[in-house]
Amino acid sequence: MQGAQIMIKKILIVDDSKVARIMLKKCLPKDKAYEIIEAVDGQDGVNKYREFTPDVTFMDLTMPVLDGFKATAEIMKLDKNAVVIIATADIQRKSAEHVTALGAFTLIKKPVKSELMQEVLAAAELKLSKLPGVK
Amino acid sequence: MSSETNDIFSDEEKDILQEIMNIAFGSATADLAEVIDIFVELSVPQIHLIPVGELPDFLKNTIHAYDETVIVDQKFWGDFSGSGLLVLPSRATKEMLMLLADKEPEVSFTKTMATLEKESLVEIGNILIGACVGKLSELLKTFATYSPPRIINGSNVQNAFIKSFDPSQTAIVLKTIFKFEHKDLSGLLLLLANQESIGWLRKALHEFLESYE
Repeated sequence: MQGAQIMIKKILIVDDSKVARIMLKKCLPKDKAYEIIEAVDGQDGVNKYREFTPDVTFMDLTMPVLDGFKATAEIMKLDKNAVVIIATADIQRKSAEHVTALGAFTLIKKPVKSELMQEVLAAAELKLSKLPGVK
Repeated sequence: MSSETNDIFSDEEKDILQEIMNIAFGSATADLAEVIDIFVELSVPQIHLIPVGELPDFLKNTIHAYDETVIVDQKFWGDFSGSGLLVLPSRATKEMLMLLADKEPEVSFTKTMATLEKESLVEIGNILIGACVGKLSELLKTFATYSPPRIINGSNVQNAFIKSFDPSQTAIVLKTIFKFEHKDLSGLLLLLANQESIGWLRKALHEFLESYE
């Protein structure tokens, strides 16, 4: 039997650049009332993940204090079902392989486009709907 | 940074420029990774606005943090004009050649090892500077033309290109430090733009952000 469709409600955006966070927020569908939480580096991202347990986390890779690779690893340790979407300018193949090995859901290239954002969020909702315990 | 130059860009403008540089350098390293099998660890780019008179000291302090250096310089022109500098330790030249050639290259009578090493470095400088300025131009909806890249001696760096800047003006310095994984090699990419680019750049930065509204 098909599980219930899960709708994303809470989104965590982890990026040290305020402008990057603005750009990412502007690409989110306008007809959805998401609760948006922002974090200014990887460590802040891990702390906010623990505090708010978002449905989806957007994660930059190149950040001070704690980079996105380490922050993703920390979040996946906290919650193996976390949906972490890497939004980065670091589009090297090895970076994609590394974050995939860490358990990230997918990697999208900056600057993010609205159409791609919609596709990624739809895919994330599908993944969330298939998680064990979701009816 | 002096307070006078600090006021040229608002915090928001510097933040936009930093993010654009981040995207541009990320794109450039991906281009490089297509040519050579190497992973580049990136760092957060830094933006400095420096009076041209203080540029020699800035470069001296920045570049001298690296012992023996080799520098690739490539000029670019357009709405955004200036110089791109790729700074690497001298010992990187052999490593770069090995990575590009994927084996010990054959040395001919016409091309000595030193020439091949220089050519490989120029090629890597061309890829990184060209792709970075190219992506930056694409994001800011403009176009740049380039001079051929050339190697300049570390001790000549100040005279080699600073004379192309008006000493009464301010230079925009975009600085990215990077590290080649498993090679114990780090480098520096600097884009230096002249003051004539500032007016255009501020407008382009706002248009870039507005395109997301």
